[in-house]
Amino acid sequence: MVITIASGKGGTGKTTIATNLAVSLMRAGSRRSIQLVDCDVEEPNAGLFLNPVWENSKNVERLLPVFDQEKCSACEQCADICEYNAIAVVNGKVLFFKELCHACGSCVLNCPQGAIAETPEIVGKLEHGHHEKLLFSQGTLEIGFSSPVPVIRDLKKWALLPNEKETVSIIDASPGTTCPVVESLRGADAALLVTEPTPFGLHDLTLVAELVTKMDQKPIAVVINKSNDNDPIIEEFCLQKNIPILMRLPLSREIAHTYSKGQLVVDAFPQYQQQFIAYLKTSRN
Amino acid sequence: MAIAITLEDNNGLNSKVSSIFGRCPFFLLIDPETKKFTIHENEAKKASGGAGVQAAQWIVDQKVDAVITGNVGPKAHTVLFAASLPVYQFDGTNIENALEAYAQQKLTNLFEPNTDAHAGIR
Repeated sequence: MVITIASGKGGTGKTTIATNLAVSLMRAGSRRSIQLVDCDVEEPNAGLFLNPVWENSKNVERLLPVFDQEKCSACEQCADICEYNAIAVVNGKVLFFKELCHACGSCVLNCPQGAIAETPEIVGKLEHGHHEKLLFSQGTLEIGFSSPVPVIRDLKKWALLPNEKETVSIIDASPGTTCPVVESLRGADAALLVTEPTPFGLHDLTLVAELVTKMDQKPIAVVINKSNDNDPIIEEFCLQKNIPILMRLPLSREIAHTYSKGQLVVDAFPQYQQQFIAYLKTSRN
Repeated sequence: MAIAITLEDNNGLNSKVSSIFGRCPFFLLIDPETKKFTIHENEAKKASGGAGVQAAQWIVDQKVDAVITGNVGPKAHTVLFAASLPVYQFDGTNIENALEAYAQQKLTNLFEPNTDAHAGIR
């Protein structure tokens, strides 16, 4: 089973919930394989709480066009076909704007002279390791690149265990509701939405719930972090949309302190471990 | 002899000169002597990215001798510069004034881009 953790708003506690849920399940000692995949490739930080032992890594590459000016007849077909306006042809010469290129390969396929080759460029890095018995993987987008989606796609392909009964894969998504989150939600069996009881939390929870519904209507559940015990602002929304609230993590100075030291909540407060495990049982039904 | 001028609207020679290059709504192509002109919709206006490149490619393909606009960004400038096409900076909105200033060589030739990428997105 694959569960993607999303939130819309940043800073609600996706990584806190993802790491603590994953570690709780792993410690529950069942035979199933538990893995955590950090798909927040612009700022992967779940590893800070897990201090994983790294085992292997792999680069994510994209193929950029290389133009052979000798073979080029300046027919402009490459510039015409390019959906992203990354190519211009002037004075018989090709001008290529790398930062606009999406590495789709259309120019290569359409060049009648066969004057365009491809060369790999590193756009990110994938890493895999473990924390005790928990399998952990993360992707990191190379500095200077604007599109995280290819890194997330490759990470899921490389790291995700076969989706079987005995495995639980937890995906930590990035904040927001744009392409990286869509890619992180794709193929998941359920979405766990982490929110906080503030107007900002509700606003972005509404957006991400709408996104999941529009995508494929997979089951949604909510976790309220920084909870006041009574959180009418979120409760009202969940009641109206028929979304279960599975867990609340209280607004607590002690939990914040634990977090700030890079420690897991379930290490400092083992009583929460049962709640995380109970969540999984509920979500399986 | 033909000059390309970026336009805000499509109102013949009463159109307003646009300060934006890549995402201006229309282009005027005009012979400054005979005043014969055509107005063309800028297909690049709606591009999700690379509007400057696409617009500059189109202008280059029209075989004009000069471009008059307000601001031109780095990628569009690279294309126009590679085509040895001079870009003249004009601050006003009146086409007549722009052509007059051009004829009197009062316009600044932009040897470098004078605005950032994406400045024309609005």
